[in-house]
Amino acid sequence: MNKTYKEGSLIEKYQISPTRMEFDKFIVPTVTIFIGLLLCFFMLFPLWSILTMSFFKGGEFGLLNFTLENFQKYFTTAHSLNALWHSLYVSFATTVIVTIIIFFFAYAMTRTTISGKPFFRNIIMMPLVAPSIVQALALIYLFGRNGLITAHFLHTDWNIYGATGIIISEVLYCLPHAFVILYTTLSAVDIRLDEAAESLGATPFKVFTRITLPSAKYGILSSAALTFNLTITDFGNPVVIGGNYNVLATEIYAQVTNLYRFDLGATISIILLVPSLMAFMLNYYISRKTFSMISGAAKPVIPPSRPLKKISYTVYCWLVSFAIILIFATVILGSFVKIWPYDWSLTFQHYKFPSIGGYSAIWTSFWISLIVGIGGAFITLVAGYVMETRKPYFKQLIYLLSVMPAAIPGLVMGLGYILAFNKPYYIFYGTPWIVVICIIICNFTLGILASISNLRNIDPSIEEASISLGGDTIRTFFKIIFPLSRVAFFQNFVYFFMRSMTTISAVIFLVSATVHLAAIEIIMLDNDGWTASANAMCTCIIVLVLIMLGLLHIVQKKTGKRQAGLV
Amino acid sequence: MSKRLILEKVRKTYGSLVAVDDVDLDIEPGEFVCFLGPSGCGKTTLLRMITGFETLTSGNIVYDEKIINDVIPQKREFGIVFQSYALFPNMTVNENIAFGLKMRKMPQNLIDERVIEMLKLIGLIGWEGHYPSQLSGGQQQRVALARSLAIKPNILLLDEPLSALDAKIRVRLRSVIKKLQQDLGITLIYVTHDQEEALSLADRVVIMRDGQIRQVGSPWEIYKEPKTSFIAEFVGTSNFISGTKKDGKVKFEQLELTVSNLDDVEGEDVHLAVRPENVELVDVTISSEQCVSSNVFEVVVEVITFLGAVVRIAFVLEGETMIIDISEKDFGKMGLKRGGKIKIYFPPDAFHVYTELFKKLV
Repeated sequence: MNKTYKEGSLIEKYQISPTRMEFDKFIVPTVTIFIGLLLCFFMLFPLWSILTMSFFKGGEFGLLNFTLENFQKYFTTAHSLNALWHSLYVSFATTVIVTIIIFFFAYAMTRTTISGKPFFRNIIMMPLVAPSIVQALALIYLFGRNGLITAHFLHTDWNIYGATGIIISEVLYCLPHAFVILYTTLSAVDIRLDEAAESLGATPFKVFTRITLPSAKYGILSSAALTFNLTITDFGNPVVIGGNYNVLATEIYAQVTNLYRFDLGATISIILLVPSLMAFMLNYYISRKTFSMISGAAKPVIPPSRPLKKISYTVYCWLVSFAIILIFATVILGSFVKIWPYDWSLTFQHYKFPSIGGYSAIWTSFWISLIVGIGGAFITLVAGYVMETRKPYFKQLIYLLSVMPAAIPGLVMGLGYILAFNKPYYIFYGTPWIVVICIIICNFTLGILASISNLRNIDPSIEEASISLGGDTIRTFFKIIFPLSRVAFFQNFVYFFMRSMTTISAVIFLVSATVHLAAIEIIMLDNDGWTASANAMCTCIIVLVLIMLGLLHIVQKKTGKRQAGLV
Repeated sequence: MSKRLILEKVRKTYGSLVAVDDVDLDIEPGEFVCFLGPSGCGKTTLLRMITGFETLTSGNIVYDEKIINDVIPQKREFGIVFQSYALFPNMTVNENIAFGLKMRKMPQNLIDERVIEMLKLIGLIGWEGHYPSQLSGGQQQRVALARSLAIKPNILLLDEPLSALDAKIRVRLRSVIKKLQQDLGITLIYVTHDQEEALSLADRVVIMRDGQIRQVGSPWEIYKEPKTSFIAEFVGTSNFISGTKKDGKVKFEQLELTVSNLDDVEGEDVHLAVRPENVELVDVTISSEQCVSSNVFEVVVEVITFLGAVVRIAFVLEGETMIIDISEKDFGKMGLKRGGKIKIYFPPDAFHVYTELFKKLV
């Protein structure tokens, strides 16, 4: 039997190419160094520029130039100091409200048998598809000086501008972010604990306070920290609805754009960085604990909820969903009616954008987002692959650099980019490419974490099988890892695309006379009094993002069956 | 053709943990070697060092008289079969088998020829267009075998290849692997924790524990002459009797047992191991005149377990639970019941004498 095998001289002629293997040795270090340099140059260097700008005279680094003058000035100016208190107040209030609302919402999704859960889950995620300005625009249409409800139904002089407006819009903006965390936590905690307690005679109230709440405490803290961070760093909503009520983010913008005080802008950035960094670190520390609590145990069926519980939770979820739907409906409707709220005839006139950007801004945003999507998804997949499977030297360092962007507010990063790269020899400055890079870096953390968790689902033996058969790094990646990751890749693509279409704070400093972006146009239009057109611009962004999400849905359905190959 | 593989003082430590402790082994070309041991004994780490996926802390791995410690896995040309099969889920059976050949830039017509040849070898002609998820576990593992053999590896390494399969298929694939190895004359290293698998497949069994080799020998040697009490328990089953030496006999609680080979053993405390099938039933498997009277005991049947060809009977002797295996035929003749009495006999030469008792693995 098998003479050919034993004689098999034919096969011996074909060997693994030695040059290819020599070349292969350099692939992993090269990629590692590239990722490291990328993050150093486009994240640490801008941060460094902000530090030097705020702590050194004229932004010149040197022992003799060290000064605390900027900080002294900040803390002695009542107006700017107020921004800090405002920011903290608004963020604390939002955090408390969001955490309470979302806890019961997630509880309804995971522990009750109400119907319509998929619908509620989709609605609560809605705010992700629009820039964090849509809430403020809608609230002004409803409760502003000329608001539908305040001025026309209630005929009151009260309006929503200021702290109230910021808090409500931030609450509606932060819901999906907090929901993802608490939903995961509550689905991970074993529901049988509740049953066990009930069978031992505990009242439902006792079960809730003694079992359910404590077992979700890390999730609650983690979502609170995230909400705090999102609120304190948000720019879009406060700039529109804040009125005279300034917060740190709007103060940075005012100092830089209106007063050209880069040094004070940088100083306030440092002040903003402190609480947001603390919230981030708390979140990072807690989320490690949360995930260690998640067990792979099978999920038991939820026992049918009592009728009263079912009805009250259904009503509750409808109320929350209604608030979100109301926001989107107002903005979309507002873009089509002639003069809100006087003339309700429908029109397309607001879609003839009066600004310089107009449709070209949407187009620019779209193709920038495509590049950000593909580039971001690819770079985070490659980085995740190299770090997770090839374990290069300095892995920990690169990992640390990769999670840092999540701690840095987009506005601060954007300001850092101006300070660092506004030199003639950085030829990418003032071009769309700096926007692309900034958005990729700002969202690097979630991208790489998603890639890593996907790669962990691939059996490590598959990689080793390829290597033992003579596969080098590049061919293993493109022939095996990449095809097996394509769904995750597309998810990441859509994530980056969505972030790029909707981000305001990261890019507001980077738009220029030649680069217009749709999300920024919203602010410009609103600023110039074209509120209906701002709504129209918002609607365009929402539609584009929804189309991408629809595509993702189709791709996932189509490739779902092959996923069986993944362990 | 496979060449000789030598492991010289191979050692692997993770911090203070010694995973593989100065292992020496000489593997002849064409030999079928099994690394056998409980989980955590270092057998997989040792295999991974041979494949090149783990680096050595010290020592050498020598193949064909060349030290290959620093040779990358791609260039070792060793075939590997994984416990999880590790087939590429995005490729068909055909593409999986052809993968290694493609990496070697073999012309397509030769690849096709070779793939057909491999499919014949594993008996999966007609399945080449299927994806791994469409195959059964046993079929997937056969494809994995074909994939690793397609590149004509110098050595074939298998890491618990059958433990994810169910019992029947496991036994069938065992013979497939054995036949392939004999036909191809390739050196094969097989890692397993299943002693039955090791004994039925290997030319030589390497027993490992705590990162060290405890015994190397043919399956027959390992079973008949286990060097330590651990091996006596791990390979097959043994009854253990711990006692003290006294006047050429072994004192066990109130009993005094006659034991051969006792003079070779130093020290007072001894541990005797006796296989259940070596315990005799007086008047059934042995006549009472042939027995040394000090080793005959009347005991009460506690549990009867029917295992097919043999019946395992548990009894208690001086507080120790022990077992005896008798043939199903003898069992049928005797009509034994739980609580019934039997007379058992330990032949003096059936004992293996050890000075140390392993820590029980629970």
